[in-house]
Amino acid sequence: MGEFIDFIGNNLADFWTYTGFANATVGHLIMILVGLVFIYLAVAHEFEPMLLIPIGFGMLIGNIPFNMEAGLQVGIYEEGSVLNILYQGVTSGWYPPLIFLGIGAMTDFSALISNPKLMLIGAAAQFGIFGAYMIALALGFTPMQAGAIGIIGGADGPTAIFLSSKLAPNLMGAIAVSAYSYMALVPVIQPPIMRWLTTKKERVMRMPAPRVVSHTEKVMFPIIGLLLTCFLVPSGLPLLGMLFFGNLLKESGVTRRLAETARGPLIDTITILLGLTVGASTQASEFLTFDSVLIFGLGALSFVIATTSGVIFVKIFNLILPKAKRINPLIGNAGVSAVPDSARISQTVGLEYDPTNYLLMHAMGPNVAGVIGSAVAAGILLGFLM
Amino acid sequence: MNKIKIGWLLSLALMLGMTSCGEQKSNTKLILNEVLIENQTNFQDDYGIHSAWIEVFNQSYSSANLAGYRLKVSNQPGDTASYFIPKGDVLTLVKPRQHSLFWADGQPNRGTFHTNFILNGTTDTWIGLYDSGDKLVDQITIPANTLKADESYARVSDASEDWEVKGASEDKYVTPSTNNQTQDSNAKMEKFKQHDSVGVGMAITAMSVVFSGLLLLYISFRLIGKASVSVSRRRAMKTKEVTSVEEAKEKKLGEAPGEVFAAIAMAMHESQNMHDEEETVLTITRVKRSYSPWSSKIYTLRETPKK
Repeated sequence: MGEFIDFIGNNLADFWTYTGFANATVGHLIMILVGLVFIYLAVAHEFEPMLLIPIGFGMLIGNIPFNMEAGLQVGIYEEGSVLNILYQGVTSGWYPPLIFLGIGAMTDFSALISNPKLMLIGAAAQFGIFGAYMIALALGFTPMQAGAIGIIGGADGPTAIFLSSKLAPNLMGAIAVSAYSYMALVPVIQPPIMRWLTTKKERVMRMPAPRVVSHTEKVMFPIIGLLLTCFLVPSGLPLLGMLFFGNLLKESGVTRRLAETARGPLIDTITILLGLTVGASTQASEFLTFDSVLIFGLGALSFVIATTSGVIFVKIFNLILPKAKRINPLIGNAGVSAVPDSARISQTVGLEYDPTNYLLMHAMGPNVAGVIGSAVAAGILLGFLM
Repeated sequence: MNKIKIGWLLSLALMLGMTSCGEQKSNTKLILNEVLIENQTNFQDDYGIHSAWIEVFNQSYSSANLAGYRLKVSNQPGDTASYFIPKGDVLTLVKPRQHSLFWADGQPNRGTFHTNFILNGTTDTWIGLYDSGDKLVDQITIPANTLKADESYARVSDASEDWEVKGASEDKYVTPSTNNQTQDSNAKMEKFKQHDSVGVGMAITAMSVVFSGLLLLYISFRLIGKASVSVSRRRAMKTKEVTSVEEAKEKKLGEAPGEVFAAIAMAMHESQNMHDEEETVLTITRVKRSYSPWSSKIYTLRETPKK
């Protein structure tokens, strides 16, 4: 009888070593807390809920402590586990292009086509990427790591994941979480910079209504866009190719079902998998490092630089534009590609100073140009550094 | 008429395509990469024997299968030995940018990678690699007495055009089953560290490319936009029977802003009075949910036992 009780006792003691309670570390608890904050921000304040809910919950999943030596094949970094299989879409970089397919199928480029000079704002905002790249180099990161960190300034989650999976896979978790966090925090980061850099007169500047764009122009845009950008930067092909393909599905008018799948069920499925696995990849043992802290700091800086350069570029650009064609500098922030949040911020800040001045459609131009610009920048970094 | 034009265009495209195909070099994935004829102290096979070897390299970025290929060797015209690489061995699949080594020991019974011929360095040695369609994909001739013991004849680096003798000096070493030129550093990274440690060069270059790309798009769509406005103006001129372009520009024909279309749509909606009066009409729509056994109550309830 005593032996049997010993046996039960040993079994229970064994079982205890497998539980989360026995394996928990302070790191796990911190990351669970961060995950809960993400979920809270998404539910209570609706900060990018589509991203923060999967990422936040993914953080909980990824930080449930378990006995790493037991070979249970449950952790995201254990080869063959379900999470690891789902995570391969991130590590091998095929989730981001599929997200871009959906983005292309849901984006209306009319604002950009009707006023193509807005594209240059999208280019100017990419200074954020290279500003952060230079600072990261100064902090001692290697050029490849610096390139992967810099792309956070492009404010484009899929692009950041795509590039970091190629250039610095070990930093990908921190880079992805940082990029998505700051995209969610765009309403907090951008308005003070926009107000600080503009005068009251500039903020109430009105822009002429965009002209109506013909169907032919809309169909030509993805084709010409693909040919021009990808001939220049072939390494951007996975992202740009899918973005423009998705847009052609939308604009051709004859592939409605395909476009609806791309912008609906497909992008939703990939967003769920991408968000969840990126969140789960923040396993405390891999994620809680000093580098992650630096990456978060650099991410914030890159957003500040991108916003600043976008707004300042518009102000400089206005010096050479005729008065009737001048651009409201409040849409300069939209050059970072966080679509459509940064364009919405241009609108909100603009309305604060003139309740009848609607900047949303104008801001959508640089906003979608930012998507193209950041994908091109990612292609360049990949081409130079790989 | 249109069909004829399309036919002409397609034929032209096909012709151009065929011409460009003809100009292309044969694009083979698998090539001969390194050969060692007299093996005294070099690489051993699985049996611990030093034999001559031939290295094949997959120069592409996708896997390539050697099954069904032939290795042919000749030391004098008219005397060619041929080894058929057997099918059905998974190891014949060469991964992207990887190597496969064949032992020229005349012992094919020892496995897929042991050929039925041996190599002889005292006369010129010709080695050819033939694909499964018996088409020559690569060949090399090693001049007689070029190689001493444990020296190999190899491409300078993997898949490069030029060949050289390896093993004669410290910096040119024999590399069975591995890269002909070992890369012990990331050349690009080193270059960046050396010339652009601050990152300014990268920032300037990359931003120039980003601006160029979007500038090209801007120019293209400025031109396309102008052409589009001009086409709509011409159409509007035809409808309104205006002949002078100046007059059309003055009247802004073909440049109706979005608000005009919105106003027209609203007017049509109002005039056709398509909508019911929402304040007085109560519409009850039957909500139809699609059936699914996952949500079916019948399937989730246990059946009453039959007596």
